[in-house]
Amino acid sequence: MSFRQRLRDLPDNLRLAGLSAWRGRERGLAVVAGVFLASLVITTVLAYGVGLSQIFFAESLENEPFDAKIEFSDKPGNNITGRTNDTQIMVNVCSELMERPEIADCSLVFGRQGIHGKGFFNRDFIAAQPLEIKSVTSINGTWQNYDGIYPELLDGGPPISNRRSVRLLGPGAFDGELAERLSKNIINGEGSWPTPEQANSTRAVIIPASVANQANAEVGDVLESITFSVTTDRADITDGLDEDDCQGKLEAAENEFQYCKINMIVTNLTIHGIYEEWDIGNPTLAPNPFFITWTALEDAQRKVLFDNDHVYLGVAIDRTMMPTQSTSEAEDWLEALGTDIESQNYTESGIELFYFDIVGGTITFLNIFLGLIQAFDYIIMIPIVVLSLAVLIYGLVLSLEQRRREIAIHRVIGASSERLRGMILLELAVMSSIAWFAGYLLALNLVPLVLDAVGFMEFRPGEFKVNPTLGWVSTLVTLLATIGLALIFGRGRTRRFLDIEIDEGVRRTTVKREPRVWLHWVMFLIGCLALLESWLESSKVMEDGILTNFFIDGLVLIFGPFLLWIGGALLLARLGALGPKFAEFFFGRTRLLKDVRRGLKGSGSAESVNQLATIMLLTLSIVTLAAVQGYTGTLVDERTASAEVGADLSVTMTVRMNESEMRTFLLGVVSEDSAVEVERNMEMTSVPSILVRENSSNDQIQAFVVLESAEDVLHWDEQAIPGTDIDDVLSDIQSGGFTAGEDAAYDLGLWGSGRRGSDDSSDILLDSGDERSEKLEFVYLELEPINSEDEQQLDLEQMLEDYPFQNNWEGVDSKNENWSERDFGLTNMFGTTWDNVSLAGANLSGSVISNSTFKDVDLTGADLTNTVIAFSQFENVTMDGADLTGMFGFINLSDFSLNGATCPNGLPFGSTSCAVSQIPPPLVATLLGSNTDISYNVTKHEFTSRYLGVHFWIPGQSTSTLNPAIIIGESTWHELVGNDSANNIVSATWYFDLGSFAHDSDGDDLRALRATLEADPMVVSASDWSTAHREVERDGGLIFGTPGLLSLQFVVASVAAVASSFVFLSLVLTQRQKELAILQAIGASPNQIIRLVLFEIIAIVAMSMILGIILGIGLAMSFNGFFSIFGFIFQIFGGSSTPIERELIWPWTQLALVSAAVFAAVLIALLVTTRRTLKADLASVLKGE
Amino acid sequence: MVSESDLILEAEGLYHVYESKAEDGNVVALRGLHVKVKEGEAVAVVGPSGSGKSTLLKCLGGLMKASAGSVSLDGKNMTRLTGKELVHLRQKTVSFIFQEGNLLPNLSALDNVAQPLRHQGVAPHTAKNKALELLTKLKVEHRSKALPKMLSGGEQQRVAVARALITEPRLILADEPTGSLDPVTSREVLNLFKKLHEKEKVAFLLVTHSKEVAAFADRSLELRDGRFVAQHGSGVNVEDLSADRELIVDEMGTVTLPPDILVQMGGPGRYTVSDLDLGKLHLAGDAVEKIGRMVLVDKCPACQHQYEDMDTSECPSCGSSRPMIEVFD
Repeated sequence: MSFRQRLRDLPDNLRLAGLSAWRGRERGLAVVAGVFLASLVITTVLAYGVGLSQIFFAESLENEPFDAKIEFSDKPGNNITGRTNDTQIMVNVCSELMERPEIADCSLVFGRQGIHGKGFFNRDFIAAQPLEIKSVTSINGTWQNYDGIYPELLDGGPPISNRRSVRLLGPGAFDGELAERLSKNIINGEGSWPTPEQANSTRAVIIPASVANQANAEVGDVLESITFSVTTDRADITDGLDEDDCQGKLEAAENEFQYCKINMIVTNLTIHGIYEEWDIGNPTLAPNPFFITWTALEDAQRKVLFDNDHVYLGVAIDRTMMPTQSTSEAEDWLEALGTDIESQNYTESGIELFYFDIVGGTITFLNIFLGLIQAFDYIIMIPIVVLSLAVLIYGLVLSLEQRRREIAIHRVIGASSERLRGMILLELAVMSSIAWFAGYLLALNLVPLVLDAVGFMEFRPGEFKVNPTLGWVSTLVTLLATIGLALIFGRGRTRRFLDIEIDEGVRRTTVKREPRVWLHWVMFLIGCLALLESWLESSKVMEDGILTNFFIDGLVLIFGPFLLWIGGALLLARLGALGPKFAEFFFGRTRLLKDVRRGLKGSGSAESVNQLATIMLLTLSIVTLAAVQGYTGTLVDERTASAEVGADLSVTMTVRMNESEMRTFLLGVVSEDSAVEVERNMEMTSVPSILVRENSSNDQIQAFVVLESAEDVLHWDEQAIPGTDIDDVLSDIQSGGFTAGEDAAYDLGLWGSGRRGSDDSSDILLDSGDERSEKLEFVYLELEPINSEDEQQLDLEQMLEDYPFQNNWEGVDSKNENWSERDFGLTNMFGTTWDNVSLAGANLSGSVISNSTFKDVDLTGADLTNTVIAFSQFENVTMDGADLTGMFGFINLSDFSLNGATCPNGLPFGSTSCAVSQIPPPLVATLLGSNTDISYNVTKHEFTSRYLGVHFWIPGQSTSTLNPAIIIGESTWHELVGNDSANNIVSATWYFDLGSFAHDSDGDDLRALRATLEADPMVVSASDWSTAHREVERDGGLIFGTPGLLSLQFVVASVAAVASSFVFLSLVLTQRQKELAILQAIGASPNQIIRLVLFEIIAIVAMSMILGIILGIGLAMSFNGFFSIFGFIFQIFGGSSTPIERELIWPWTQLALVSAAVFAAVLIALLVTTRRTLKADLASVLKGE
Repeated sequence: MVSESDLILEAEGLYHVYESKAEDGNVVALRGLHVKVKEGEAVAVVGPSGSGKSTLLKCLGGLMKASAGSVSLDGKNMTRLTGKELVHLRQKTVSFIFQEGNLLPNLSALDNVAQPLRHQGVAPHTAKNKALELLTKLKVEHRSKALPKMLSGGEQQRVAVARALITEPRLILADEPTGSLDPVTSREVLNLFKKLHEKEKVAFLLVTHSKEVAAFADRSLELRDGRFVAQHGSGVNVEDLSADRELIVDEMGTVTLPPDILVQMGGPGRYTVSDLDLGKLHLAGDAVEKIGRMVLVDKCPACQHQYEDMDTSECPSCGSSRPMIEVFD
């Protein structure tokens, strides 16, 4: 047929295809359903990626108020054109730039030096220096200790600078878009972002919250001076600079450059606001600086800054103009904008500019991270994609079977097989196009919802609007993967089908291809291996599992679940199809089936029945998998947040407070509207600890006390405690028992630490009759420091208050941090915890360390002169090369590595035995009176406690803190410290249960309260459950957006299960119409036929459903390994870790509901179709061939 | 003898075997049939059920490949044609009409009729005009938009006839064309056939049980057990085939005696050829087995129903047909 002829016939062919698709919709339903599902799922996954990058992009834009740093095109130098040192000209350049529609706002900024080149690996990118803060003076606050060091800078990016910087902003930054962005982070109640007039008149400075906290600064404080360094020259560290050429100081920096820096001072500034710091993201600009109005600078100072390249234009882009559909579009747009800006000269002076794009850099990082996330999410969506394709293919097969007669008629009236194929494919194309389009549209509308998911089947509108659309390439992919696949399969099937028909006369029987059962078995067995491996590793039966090769192990864990799924479904479907046999076995002799059991004998072999069983297996296993993993992930997130924060809210204060003081303080901070509600619902507790020692041992153990109030206030987790029953454990602890951390249990020789062999590690609560539940005797020494001369008791609290502290780090909990070279001179370190921390080279001179824990701490080369140390625990602490001269207190120095250290008596280690000084250092001595000799009144308390098992953590405290410690109850503690102390608990850290306040308005109130607390100078740190939860949602147990995909998977698979049971059953039964008619013809009653069909199909469906759920359970378990691997990767990226193990949660209710729904659908479908079959005219059914 | 070129349909040595895995093995439906239909000739095939009539029709129309033997349509040997050529040949020469309308259920009457032309690549517009013309001719134009299931049996059959005629075939193969029609409609259809046959010189091969249809044919072939046993002239009486029967002796010399003749001869046995001349054969001898009398059974073999004195041919209890058995007196 010629092309023209085809074209001419196309409209009519389409009309006929559409008509027959519509009129034969019942048989086409399966195909439509398959294409629809596939299109829905594939489009969702693709659009989800787009939406995700939109959200991440929008969010990362919030990290830096400036979108670009526009510099002079060239570095300063001789004979350079296109530069100026006139502030006014640059202000004019700003105005000129703002005439462009893309530029929303612009301000002249004095700050980091120019970079003049692109890329992260550009040397100038690392070399260019910000204006580093050296010192601040003020009569308010404790600025004298503030040294400007900002160690997180080095952790968060390339080694550019390790100091806090200043950014001197022009009036442009105090109004318009920039002011709006900058003012967003000003903490509520902590001042405001100034207007240009205010900035000018008050000489405003806006400081970051952590600095305000550190220096006890408040809004309105006047800073007499801020000294910052201006870099005037630099060279490679190997080349070096000549000291004579440098007017300031030569400095070598970690980035292997040597700088010449001069100091510049701005004076008489007023703190106008305190802002919550942005995440340290793009390192182009020095993050979280002091913002100062540049009107505070003298003209001469500005010239110096101009001459040394410390000037740029901070620009805000009109982000509504930037394409946010995809990051690559945004990148192109930005690049075009940059090139365009650079291609011109500005003002009459011919200023030439270089556009350094901050957003673009963000995109580069984003793409790497997003790539990982998407890879993970695509993988977890594979099952549902496979399912939809399976529905599509099976549907196709069944619908073709239904067309036998029609095709025969067409052949009779002269249709060639090519034409027939064309007709069938055209009809298929019409149906699948509509289905594809419906799925496509639905998916695009569904994606925002998927991205809003914060847990399994839980949704909360996000901050950012997403509008995911697909580019034409992606759209083409969805088209090919759905319609294309349908047509390809349709073509193959049709050809085979037509061949069979034509040859029918010769070969009546067609050879059915045997399924490759061996392949199914291989897949299934590998899958089972993955399941076993995952189970072994998670249950700790074998740490490394069977596969010790890391690579093979990873491969099996990632791909095994899919093999298990597909292989299992194919194999189990055969078992499912045997359902009628089982039904016959169980009911064959009952009245239900007695008369029809012969009819059941022959069933279960039909291909379509097998396929129905397979589809049921696939859908229900996905439903199970999605539900289990979804719920587990959601719970892991919640439990992680609970373990991290401990309660609704935890607050650490700079001073220790008792309960009523703390209550008053908190209620003072809460906004008036909610104060009443908070007061009514609030419960609070703290977790005090004392040092005890086991009777026969010399080692002190920290004992944490679970107060009775802590039982309800803290969010306990069953993984934290021995066994699984929280109430039992807590009541046993309160009635005098104790639990031990793994290390403590090991030291004490208790069962459960693994010390007694391999079977010694079950997580169970030991009851009193258990021989492993030993009774141990502990000793608690109550020490009262007294003046030996007059035997007067010394008031340690009072002493601490009188001590001339310059820093307050009381109660600080520092983990995995680098504080090296930090100045901790004269610091109150009462009740601090240091875990895996470097204090190398730090200054701890004159500090008081008491009731503290040091674990894995590096004090190499630290200045510990005149440090007072008492009542503290040290584990794996290095003091090589440290100066201990004058160290005083209670500490056994023989435990430490002291190579090259100076002992307290001033002599080098090795030449003398190192021991702490008995003579109080000067500062302590003045408090004690000139020749005081301190001694202690020791009261020995003994107590016996029953061992309950191994604990892992207390909510709000880290696992590593609790590992070497024990937990005792309030009553035990009462006996030891006496009722006076026990009834008046004084603690720096308090935990709160805020009742409904914590959950109202989705935790917004709670997060606002936490932000206010954090800005309060009295507060060291505050954390709340809602914020912690949102953080772990993003990079904790489950990956951002994954709950949404799992929810989608759950819903889609559930719907698919119900829908496919309808569609397939009606097809299967239509196929069997003739068989049923014959049965009727030979005298079977309608009742018998209904019973026969019901029992047969229900037996298959029920069997497949049960097998499907079992398969799903296995799948969920084996996917756990896969989730752990990805969880691990994301934790590396996200930087958070959780003590929570992915223990699977089984949402039986949901599964039962879905199963019931599917079953009901099957029943209805069966009754409807069987009745219809029975009503049909017997004669015509039997006659029609 | 007719010249070869005048033949529209010719089949030689046609065998067809249905393979079956049943215990009694394959079923031989056609056993070496020879048939010739001249241009414009109307031939009826009569015979009892299961004699292979429908199989014959399918093989002759090229819907099915015969196991052996050749079929020539319009002088072209169909067994040697490729699928495409075969379809092409059929499109131009032959149309089918079945007992049921066999209409496409999802297309309207008009689309059904137009469909064969559309398969031939005729423009949709032309095809539909012609279809409407035919429907008008057959007086069903008012139902042209209706779907087959909305049509009565007669209407369906008329649409089917229209569909068969639209390609202007030279041969119509009809399988019980009036089987499901009331007498009035079937007469109308037959009249139409007659008109076509007489005016348009369309050839017919009709498989039928009907007296009227058989009477319409120029000659009738009697098919028994996959073999033509006899031929009858025009106006055959299907209820009494013995009346004007001419036995067929084929090229292989095979002759099959219809059962009634066998009974009259006294059953199978050895006979001598006593008188042989051109166009004449006389057999004489003794029957080896005595052929008994055929009577209806008095008890239903399916449901054990006693027929008593009833004369029905169908069991009133279970509906199965009442077989005959041989009775020796």
